[in-house]
Amino acid sequence: MTAQVTEIERTYDPVSVSPLAFWAGTWEQRERSFKFLRDERPVSWHPPLEGALMPPENDGVWVVTRHEHILEVSKNPQVFSSARGVMIEEVPDDINEAASSFLVMDGPRHLSLRRLVSSAFTPKQVARIHDQIRRQASAIVDGLVATKEGDFVSQVSKRLPMWTIYEMMGLPEDQRELAAHHADGMVSWADEDVAAGREPGEVLSEALVTLLQIGMEHTERRRAEPKADLWTNLIHAEVDGQRLTDDEIASFFVLLSVAGNDTTRNTISLTARALQDFPDQKALLLQDFPGRITPAIEEFVRYATPVMTFRRTATRDTVLGGQQIKEGEWVLMMYASGNRDERAFDDPDVFDILRPTNNHLAFGGGGPHYCMGNFLAKIQLTEIFDQLLHRAPTLRLGEPEYLTGNFVRAVKSMPYTL
Amino acid sequence: MGFADAAEVRKYIGGIFEAAFEDPEIGPKLRDTGIVLQFTFTEPDSVVVVDAVKATVGDSADGAAPGAVMSMAADTGNAYWQGKVNLPLAMAKSKIKVQGNVASLLKLAPLGKQLFPVYIETLRSDGRDDLIV
Repeated sequence: MTAQVTEIERTYDPVSVSPLAFWAGTWEQRERSFKFLRDERPVSWHPPLEGALMPPENDGVWVVTRHEHILEVSKNPQVFSSARGVMIEEVPDDINEAASSFLVMDGPRHLSLRRLVSSAFTPKQVARIHDQIRRQASAIVDGLVATKEGDFVSQVSKRLPMWTIYEMMGLPEDQRELAAHHADGMVSWADEDVAAGREPGEVLSEALVTLLQIGMEHTERRRAEPKADLWTNLIHAEVDGQRLTDDEIASFFVLLSVAGNDTTRNTISLTARALQDFPDQKALLLQDFPGRITPAIEEFVRYATPVMTFRRTATRDTVLGGQQIKEGEWVLMMYASGNRDERAFDDPDVFDILRPTNNHLAFGGGGPHYCMGNFLAKIQLTEIFDQLLHRAPTLRLGEPEYLTGNFVRAVKSMPYTL
Repeated sequence: MGFADAAEVRKYIGGIFEAAFEDPEIGPKLRDTGIVLQFTFTEPDSVVVVDAVKATVGDSADGAAPGAVMSMAADTGNAYWQGKVNLPLAMAKSKIKVQGNVASLLKLAPLGKQLFPVYIETLRSDGRDDLIV
């Protein structure tokens, strides 16, 4: 328990994470602000995030920057609820409901829906998926080594996660590019290049509606022609004696599309670049790839932190990091900051694949919403880096072009030569 | 049962916005959106145009061109204003079609949410429980 409680004044912290410019800046620029907040005011009050899709309904938000407090929030869902939304800016309820499925639920309903997906991952099926991913990673690197130069994201990073998530769903191959494109739209609407003159809400709406349509069409397809895939299982699954509605299944499709595409893709891009920037670490890994890849992956995801933020809402008055949080107030978890917290990691800015302990927040801070696809991400990262490091030793990556946004740390493109 | 005729659609769905403009809290926020929004209903055919700048509710866009046009069956509109229709899901199923600036509709979302109970109460007080979803 916290010994001393500060009676907070609702004044905004001068080191603000709210401006769009903060999220348009570099990781290093943000980290300077996060470090200051971690040291001085680890739970701080900020204006609502700029660039939201609708006028803010809150006066402000709590920003949580230390590792220990992110764990505390994550593991206490009774007090810090997901049911009122998980994005750190204001999003209409309709969009939350249609886009987020069990991500924005608490309690038994959340567990039941989550279990529908996790139950598909029996050891036998995981072994089968692993074999498929290995073959696919090999084919992707076949394509890479046949070229001299190009964009690493579209040539490599994007392909394996897209193939994996949609193969599990049984989505026809000719639908996958379109679905992955709109999964991007769900997380990139704040980026001016992506929006190309359109308002963020237009980008998001088009992405969401198209994904829902693809999901609904796929449900019809699998209802008419069941197969041994995740989608057929979902259609026939029962929760509390009831089947899911078509709307619920479509929402599942959106959630899994975003979670499956936009996380591992960016970890692949960011890790490929980190292995180039830290050649000693690359050499260490190559010395004993089978023996070191498992701890290395924990460092890959800590260092990349592909999901930078999530939000919870206080269900009652509480205290966090000495600050009084009132019922209904928003609590924003800065995983990007927690994964660089000096209190949790020695030399946090160093990419160190042999960290003896690595209690990172890249899959969340524990609790019921811990990333359920983490094992899939680990399989993909193992197989793609096995292929890349052993078969493309002359790979050279240029500067990544980053997406502007406060949710995923995304690389839009990154040139390569071989 | 649904709406009997275009006049009823205009009375109830247009009436939501008339009440909104008069509301001391919602009215100014609605005007601030600056939107001209046209609803085109079928079964029965009717048009409701909300001009947030002029704070008017009419049956044709005789002033500024609408920034967004939402087309739907009147029954869908009735359910929508009771908070029973999810806009992106309805758009995905083509139950609601939107032409124009969808982003402006998202900005209306928090105001819309406050209007749902007003609409339901209006139906109840008029004895139109048949329209309550």
